[in-house]
Amino acid sequence: MPEHDVLVVGGGYSGMSAAIAAKTAGADAALLSKVYPLRSHSSGSHSGINAALGGGDSWQAHAEDSIKAGDYLADQDAVEILCREGIDDVIRLEHLGVIFSRDEQGSIDLMSFPASSRPRTCYAGDSAGHIILQVLYEQLLRRQVTTYNEWFVTSLLVEDGTCRGVMAQELSSGEVQPIYAKSVVLATGGLGRMYQLNTSAFTATADGVALAYRAGVPLMDMEMVQYHPTTLKGTGMVVTEGARGQGAYLVNNNGDRFMSAYYPETLEMTSRDLTARAVATEIAEGRGTDGCVFLDFQHIAEERLDDLLPETQLLVKRLGGVNLQQELVPVRPAMHRPIGGIQTDVNGATALSGLYAAGESACVGVHGANRLGGNSLLESAVFGRRAGESAAAHAKGASSAKASDALLKDQETRIKEVASRNGGEDTIGSVRRELAKTMHEQVGMYRDAQGLSAALDKVKDLKSRYQRVGIPSADGTYNPSLATLLELGNMLDVAQVIVASALAREESRGAHYRNDFPNRDDANWSRHTVASKGPGGADGPDEPSLDYKPVVITQWSP
Amino acid sequence: MEVTLKVNRYDPASGNKKGELQDYTLEVDDDATVLDAMMQVREDQDSTLAFRGSCRNGFCGDCTMRIGRKTLVACCTQVSEVAKDGEVTVEPIRLINVSKDVALDMEEMVYKKYKAVEPWIEAAEPAPEREHKVPNEVIQDLRKVMSCTMCWLCDEGCTTIVVDRKFVGPAALTKAYRVVADPRDTRTEERLHKLSEKEGMWDCCHCYEASEHCPKGIDPTERIFALRNKAIKVGAGTRGVVGHYKSFAASVKAKGWLDETRLAIDTEGGPLNIKGQLKQLPLAIKAFRRGKVPKPYFLHPKRPGADKIKSIFRIWESKK
Repeated sequence: MPEHDVLVVGGGYSGMSAAIAAKTAGADAALLSKVYPLRSHSSGSHSGINAALGGGDSWQAHAEDSIKAGDYLADQDAVEILCREGIDDVIRLEHLGVIFSRDEQGSIDLMSFPASSRPRTCYAGDSAGHIILQVLYEQLLRRQVTTYNEWFVTSLLVEDGTCRGVMAQELSSGEVQPIYAKSVVLATGGLGRMYQLNTSAFTATADGVALAYRAGVPLMDMEMVQYHPTTLKGTGMVVTEGARGQGAYLVNNNGDRFMSAYYPETLEMTSRDLTARAVATEIAEGRGTDGCVFLDFQHIAEERLDDLLPETQLLVKRLGGVNLQQELVPVRPAMHRPIGGIQTDVNGATALSGLYAAGESACVGVHGANRLGGNSLLESAVFGRRAGESAAAHAKGASSAKASDALLKDQETRIKEVASRNGGEDTIGSVRRELAKTMHEQVGMYRDAQGLSAALDKVKDLKSRYQRVGIPSADGTYNPSLATLLELGNMLDVAQVIVASALAREESRGAHYRNDFPNRDDANWSRHTVASKGPGGADGPDEPSLDYKPVVITQWSP
Repeated sequence: MEVTLKVNRYDPASGNKKGELQDYTLEVDDDATVLDAMMQVREDQDSTLAFRGSCRNGFCGDCTMRIGRKTLVACCTQVSEVAKDGEVTVEPIRLINVSKDVALDMEEMVYKKYKAVEPWIEAAEPAPEREHKVPNEVIQDLRKVMSCTMCWLCDEGCTTIVVDRKFVGPAALTKAYRVVADPRDTRTEERLHKLSEKEGMWDCCHCYEASEHCPKGIDPTERIFALRNKAIKVGAGTRGVVGHYKSFAASVKAKGWLDETRLAIDTEGGPLNIKGQLKQLPLAIKAFRRGKVPKPYFLHPKRPGADKIKSIFRIWESKK
């Protein structure tokens, strides 16, 4: 059975950062991903990565912008690390081979981004995520990190209060087997597939979050689900905020720049949560067309668009049939990114010994209630690296990781049970679509107690129906049955936590907007939601129990 | 709308060499893509259906398939565009072995070739305190190349791979260009020598199919030419190939058109390489009998206007 010092689960930016950092620290690091790493969704980040590199800028100014955008729910000690250390991490990326766009002197150019007080976003045209992903994969190969491509983790191996590796299915052979590791880093990305309109890949199914949750590890701020204001009609591809940063207008079906009615000072440069709600209001009040408003690029010079938004132009054309130099681009808000995730400290450590988490599947508390555009890639750089370093340090002091035969037997029985269920009327698709509709309609941009309660009942109902969804077989070469079924189970477990956390937070803050509690309530809610499976942890009943933790405030008071 | 997907089902365990089309009839949204429809089949009708697909938005390159006999990226292809009489066939692309159904053996034909070009930069150590200074034009060129999603459409179109599956292919060579053209890399010359080995850049037959197939406009064929130019400058490339290129240019410069006999002699290492010339002798005799050996070198006639062509060469050389 394979055994490593550090096993990273997830082949996106955070995962590769962690694997490279662990390997650099001298650990035997391996990376497991359910898709080939280059197919990971980090590639979808068209925006860029924030770093206070410009003259007159400072990490403090960056931190302040992040905290304000996060509506004062961010842990400020973590934000300080993000903004301070991020500067070196971005330079390191350049040294590894990332081709950031340059200014006339050949230095990294900085772009203006909504809700940032200065130009601070390092970009690569409009394909920073795609390019960073490729460069990290190049360096992963150079450093000869072992990769398990197309393996799906079915559970964490936890014994005596320590994570000892994972059980995983190799897609090519269909075999389920343990991979032992002294430290495991979860970097599995997002959960968009549980929302009807979303910007995510098919792969964003909350896997790591669910694995940790079922192992008794607390999740934090799960009610904070960010919507992107401008996603392309149809597939929901993000039209980067860099578009507005470059001067694109948001217009309604009368051709009016409607942001002036909502935020006359900041207009299109308003933060993500507020812009998304302004767009939604325009559509709800009948000033949209087919459920969309429009982005208008027609006044921007052609050369500028060709240089700065080449991918956007190509994809808007390929996916939507729209030539953005001559036509309006129909856009609407869609679920974009969970802000909550597996609770970690600033070193990526979770409550479970030997288990670390980073990136979109983790919640270290840097985004507060609303993530600043350009901070997500930065989080992957800084906290992916830190998680990899801590995981390597932990592995040095840990004894050989093996699980008992009893535990392995237990895992085998579980998989057999799942695989042998007799199918009823439901299919994986019918359950997932109902979940996605519920999350979209009742746990989306606008929420209230009635809708959330109904959603909670619905999710519980779906969870029991899920128990009766069958698959023809779980083994054999390239049989995606087991993984597809377990992904749905992962989404259902995590959806329940999202709904319960949202129902409990009786205020509006950042991405979480309650029609029945429309104001921010610092007196009662300046605190994080911490949800655990329980009471009783991993063995407890299948219900989240909610606890709270005060926000860390260092120098920026609400 | 209702559609019937006719999907290739192939299981290597069955012992069959080829797959069979299986019909799945389903109701899809009007704007559903072929990838959406495939996923719907997996989730509702047959969870064992093997295919790849991830981002749904054309940037991850995972879902290249043959759809209605055309090689396409499934997430960028709407069902309504390709359905004929309510039917769409979905098959794997042809030049990569199939692992199961529509899923390809990525290891053998894709990642092995990708890794073979050692596609990472190795910058000088120690690194500068801040970023490397690089002109934005160079960055823009590299960015175009790096917009490659590894969808493998260029290799699918490649006419050399059809006859030699070992040819490293336009996708991997485009990736090679990414590191060779990066001014931060320190291994440029060594790479060019390595890429000039057998089954490398010189096996491209310049049919331009790669550029025709690329959905991102990266122009892989031109990237291969750029690699060759760089290779010649550092003295890489097999002697014959370099001789061929140089002879071609030299005869056009001297006479205004191609001196075919000289080209044949130079490609085999020049008139002094007796062994090389003997190899060509039977062909030369045959050609001579049929009057197809024009006089070479100084005996070769000039074409009308040859001096003007020479002056074009001079202008170009003075600009270099």
